[in-house]
Amino acid sequence: MPTAEQISPATVCDGDRSATTRRIVWLLGALLAASMIVALATGSAGTSLWQALSDVLQGRELSLRDRVVLLDIRAPRVLMGCLVGAALAVSGAVLQGLFRNPLADPGIVGVSAGASLGAVGAIVLGGALVVWTVPVSAFLGAWITTILLYRVATRRGRTSVATMLLAGIALTAFAMALTGILVYVADDTQLRDFTFWTMGSLAGSTWSKIYVAGPIIAIPLLLTPFLAKGLNGLTLGEAAAGHIGIRVQRLKACAVLIVAAATGAAVAVSGGIGFVGIVVPHLLRLASGPDHRYLLINSALLGAALLVMADLICRVIIAPAELPIGIVTAVIGAPFFLWILLRQRGIVDL
Amino acid sequence: MIRKITALFSGLSVALILGTGATQAEPAERIVSAGGSITEIIYALGQEHRLVARDSTSNYPAEVSELPNIGYVRRLSAEGLLSVNPDLILAEEGAGPPETLAVLEETQIPIVSVPMGHNRAAVMDKIRTVAKALDVPEQGEQLADSVGAAIDSATSQEGLENKRVLFVLSMQSGRILAAGTNTAAQGIIEMVGATNVVQGFEGYKPLGDEAIITAAPDVILMMEAGGFLSVPDADVLAHPAIAVTPAGQNGDVLRMDGMLLLGFSVRTGQAITDLAAGLRDANG
Amino acid sequence: MLNVRNLTVNLGRQTILENLTLTAQVGQITAVVGPSGAGKSTLLAALTGDLSFDGSVTLNGHDIARTSTTRLAEIRAVLPQATPMSFPFTVLEVVRMGRIHKTMNNRMASEALTRVGLHGFEGRFYQELSGGEQQRVQLARVLVQVWEPVAQGSSRWLFLDEPVSSLDIGHQLQVMRIIQDFAVRGGGVVMVMHDLNLTAMCADSVILLSNKMVMHQGSPRDTFRDDLLSSAYGCKIAVNRAPEDGMFLLPQVACAAS
Repeated sequence: MPTAEQISPATVCDGDRSATTRRIVWLLGALLAASMIVALATGSAGTSLWQALSDVLQGRELSLRDRVVLLDIRAPRVLMGCLVGAALAVSGAVLQGLFRNPLADPGIVGVSAGASLGAVGAIVLGGALVVWTVPVSAFLGAWITTILLYRVATRRGRTSVATMLLAGIALTAFAMALTGILVYVADDTQLRDFTFWTMGSLAGSTWSKIYVAGPIIAIPLLLTPFLAKGLNGLTLGEAAAGHIGIRVQRLKACAVLIVAAATGAAVAVSGGIGFVGIVVPHLLRLASGPDHRYLLINSALLGAALLVMADLICRVIIAPAELPIGIVTAVIGAPFFLWILLRQRGIVDL
Repeated sequence: MIRKITALFSGLSVALILGTGATQAEPAERIVSAGGSITEIIYALGQEHRLVARDSTSNYPAEVSELPNIGYVRRLSAEGLLSVNPDLILAEEGAGPPETLAVLEETQIPIVSVPMGHNRAAVMDKIRTVAKALDVPEQGEQLADSVGAAIDSATSQEGLENKRVLFVLSMQSGRILAAGTNTAAQGIIEMVGATNVVQGFEGYKPLGDEAIITAAPDVILMMEAGGFLSVPDADVLAHPAIAVTPAGQNGDVLRMDGMLLLGFSVRTGQAITDLAAGLRDANG
Repeated sequence: MLNVRNLTVNLGRQTILENLTLTAQVGQITAVVGPSGAGKSTLLAALTGDLSFDGSVTLNGHDIARTSTTRLAEIRAVLPQATPMSFPFTVLEVVRMGRIHKTMNNRMASEALTRVGLHGFEGRFYQELSGGEQQRVQLARVLVQVWEPVAQGSSRWLFLDEPVSSLDIGHQLQVMRIIQDFAVRGGGVVMVMHDLNLTAMCADSVILLSNKMVMHQGSPRDTFRDDLLSSAYGCKIAVNRAPEDGMFLLPQVACAAS
């Protein structure tokens, strides 16, 4: 019987999808880079990225208008698209791993309801005039709801995923009721503001927002690779995950904190953007398997690329006006998702 | 070296002075209007040739729809605005979002905020602000005078003091969204000299069936039907609570164009006249 | 060795196991048998550290209540009764999870699959397999976790919850041979068993649980006595002997009569 050391390093083996998956990482990386460049180069104002680059290289000054369009409008928007897209897709993948259910999304841990409550609170109770009040209170709403939920579901050092699911439904209902009260007292302009907020938009992405929301989104996302093995093990079930050496409780706590921070901040700056958190991980699982070591990275890349492209559509399709991005992601995402489901029906039961 | 730099700076400052002088001397030629009432004023001032884009609430006069639409006033897109190369933006008070306004400020495109309000003074104020921004103050004064005169002759007509009016913004699956205090509807109803029956809340809110019956309106005022969501008069009158009110029993549903009725712009005098005529025709 | 002293497990207000004391030796297969509801699975859960308990459980001298999850995973592997999985992993990927924290190559996984009779199943989707095949994939996963039965001078352990319950007789014997091999090479095995015949054939030591307590621990020959079994299972059981000193058991028709 050979020992572990005696077994020579293996070559490619049937059922080992890591090579394919690594190729997909590069592919998605290229896709993201391409979509960022296209998004930076395209827009209703017609400023040409290439013209601007060659001007700068030849030492010519950019016109004020071109500088504002490229550096103050498009660049922060593209970056914010990357951050938000990555945050939503990765949070979706992490929560699906945690709940061992491909339908879980950040809404399940109360993030969306909490953020909505925070946003409508800020809009209605005044202060919507100040740039920061809506995102800050949306973030606080998301964060407080999620932490509360986690505390409710944790007893004697153990978190019950089932309790979290049920308590999530209750907390969401309660937050929506409070939102309803605020909506009732709102006037019609506030209502419109809130309606637009729920449809999501990356308009109004400024550098100062990136400086604040960027770290809150990026740092948790950079930590998610450390959860990958644990989430893989968790698919065996909680007990079995513990048996192979995974600290399940720590994993759950980290996953919830990461999701609360990243999605909370993403929803706060962009409003409600649906479908990215479910569709992106699902597509990637079909393409390259559920191994979280690659799924999380690929989700970040694809989520970012998709949102940057969706935002591009929003910016140009009815220019000079703009479409809310939540509409675009749902209009494209929902039928596409259905098509995938119909095509894959019966092949792999998720 | 130092002299060179000094020369450069003085050259620059001369250019700056010239630059600012130039913008003051030459009135804006590429104007964006963000607000339906502002657009109407620009047309009334005969300055529509300077208009390059309008917002989604600008729908009068009809030819305005040929201009590019920059979207909803409170959701303006910075790049979208820049794409029409404006040199002046006239925006209703409350236009936004603030981030867009901040970016526009950087591009040094002047933004003029036009005050809103639901009375005669507000209309005058609007016209004067727009005329001043367009650099046609004399025409502005003329327009203000004629609009003011039209309003004055129409306001507070005899015999309408006891008319109780319920303004219904929308009715969806039997739920009535009515205008309370501090709304444009309340403003126009008061200017015509009638009474808005809803005094219990501010803004547009759902009104309960029993409250409708208690309010006992003589006339139901609504915006002109249009679009697939609009409710025909018969359905309004068949509403169980409305049916028992004087308005319901007499079949008095009055429809007016929304922008005309609630715009508080150059056509407000006509709006008051039309509304008064409509109310007088009502049976109750 | 595994040392259990005064083990009591309460779930809520209910006592599931009361004051158990037992041992299991390395190099041996220790089987836990008893009627349904006697607490076999609860005992296994306590021994693997999944449940909180009173009393002491030491494995190779480590108090398992105070040993970290990672350290325990290096000493012992656990095979659950059934393991449904929610995402479409391939068989190879499932087996590799056994060494989630260690270096691992596909050859070891393939070798483990061959041993459980699933050679060539690497690329199949786990969810498409039958219950018995899934069970053997999980066994392969458990085997790679404790690949060498003895590492750095100390034995490793297998805890198995009814490892053959969903298998046909051929695969039952195959799995039993793998387990025996692990014990022969110096590892320790504790398994919950339903099938008394198979237990009699393979186990070195049998723990008979009944009514929350250990009724008897000893060799199969000592434990499988008519009186002990009949009293534990609440029906009349006769232990028979086959030629060449083998044993077989037949359930008696007139159970209720006694």
